[in-house]
Amino acid sequence: MLIAGSNFLIPNGTFIVVLIAFLIVIGVLAKVAVPPLNAALTERQDKIRGELEAADQAKADAEEADAERRNTLEEARAHAREIVAGAQATADKTVAAAEGKGQEAYDRIVASAEAEVAVARQAAVEEVTARIGEIVLSAAERVVGREIKAADHQDLIDEAIAAVRAEAGNTASAGGAR
Amino acid sequence: MGVMLGGMNLMASAISVGEHPTVQWFGLTIDIDTVWATLIASVIVVALGLVMRAKVTSGVPGKYQLAWEMALEAVQKQVDDSIGPRGKKVIPLALTLFIFIFICNLFEVFGIGATYEVLPAPTADINLPLAMALYVIVLVHVAAVRNRGVKGYLAHYVTRPFPMWLFPVNLFMNLVDEIVKPITLTLRLFGNLLAGGLMLSLLAALVVWKLGPVPVGGILATPLTIVWKLFDTGIGAIQAFIFALLTILYFDTAMATEDAH
Repeated sequence: MLIAGSNFLIPNGTFIVVLIAFLIVIGVLAKVAVPPLNAALTERQDKIRGELEAADQAKADAEEADAERRNTLEEARAHAREIVAGAQATADKTVAAAEGKGQEAYDRIVASAEAEVAVARQAAVEEVTARIGEIVLSAAERVVGREIKAADHQDLIDEAIAAVRAEAGNTASAGGAR
Repeated sequence: MGVMLGGMNLMASAISVGEHPTVQWFGLTIDIDTVWATLIASVIVVALGLVMRAKVTSGVPGKYQLAWEMALEAVQKQVDDSIGPRGKKVIPLALTLFIFIFICNLFEVFGIGATYEVLPAPTADINLPLAMALYVIVLVHVAAVRNRGVKGYLAHYVTRPFPMWLFPVNLFMNLVDEIVKPITLTLRLFGNLLAGGLMLSLLAALVVWKLGPVPVGGILATPLTIVWKLFDTGIGAIQAFIFALLTILYFDTAMATEDAH
């Protein structure tokens, strides 16, 4: 073994030996080690990319389903509002109709009752007027003590009847105005 | 100070620069320590690669595979960013360069500052950096010829960077550029590693420094050596990275289209 005292910047035969060693290392790594590593790396990246895409798809699906659910809910709400509004309208109409009918029946009953009252009053007035002459005459006979002929005092009787009638008419018109 | 100066004199005489034990093979001088270290580093790198191949999975990677993948991805990203998809063939070369140089540089950790280390960093011998640099540069020129054709490759020397009528200047500048590339690539790596070893020698020589009865150098040498070796490991990683990065960039220049130039 020799110890060289030569310039350390000048290459020597070592160059060839280490170059060969380096080429072997390059060859082994480039042919044996790097390709499978690269393949594994690429495969994993593809797998991860695929999974990310699937996740994106799932998210999009979920969003779509959510939007659909919201739409359905909104439709249902609108529908419910329509139904309630329809029911309200029907109820209002029914109430209005009932009120109208009730008023009509009331008016009719009141009108017929008034008519009956008027007829009864009329009948009463007729009866009174029919009998008032006799009553007046008999009362007068008792007062005077003799027979009084109706024909002789017909004008007095008529006057009394007219007074009764006027009285009855006043009462009837006051009752009708009330 | 007188004692220290005496110590310095002793250090200067004890420190040698770039000496190797040699043998003669077929009339060639061989630095046998560098050859040993290179072979051991080669075996380590090949073993690392084979172990990785045996374990490799596309499923959940182990820490070991993860370390390989990180290195590969770093190289891939670098190649993609500069050369683009055409640079795929450069990836194994750049990755191997990085790992191999890094392992070689790590050998400096075994150094004790002796004139002949048992296992010196082979990259601290000019032969290995030069071998790798020349291999890279030859491939770069081959790639340039393949990319531009012989005519385009030769024209490249005279048509750029100045107009054609200045072609002697262009030729001179391009030739200097191409010749300097392998030299700088070699010397950058070699110089850093040689300096690292030299630093260990200096720290080892520090042991003889005494202030009276106090062995100041002896006390300082060990912690300083530890700090330096940690730092030197970082340098080793950085130099391996730079070598691989420059390889990629030289290929980028060689494979660039004329328009992009």
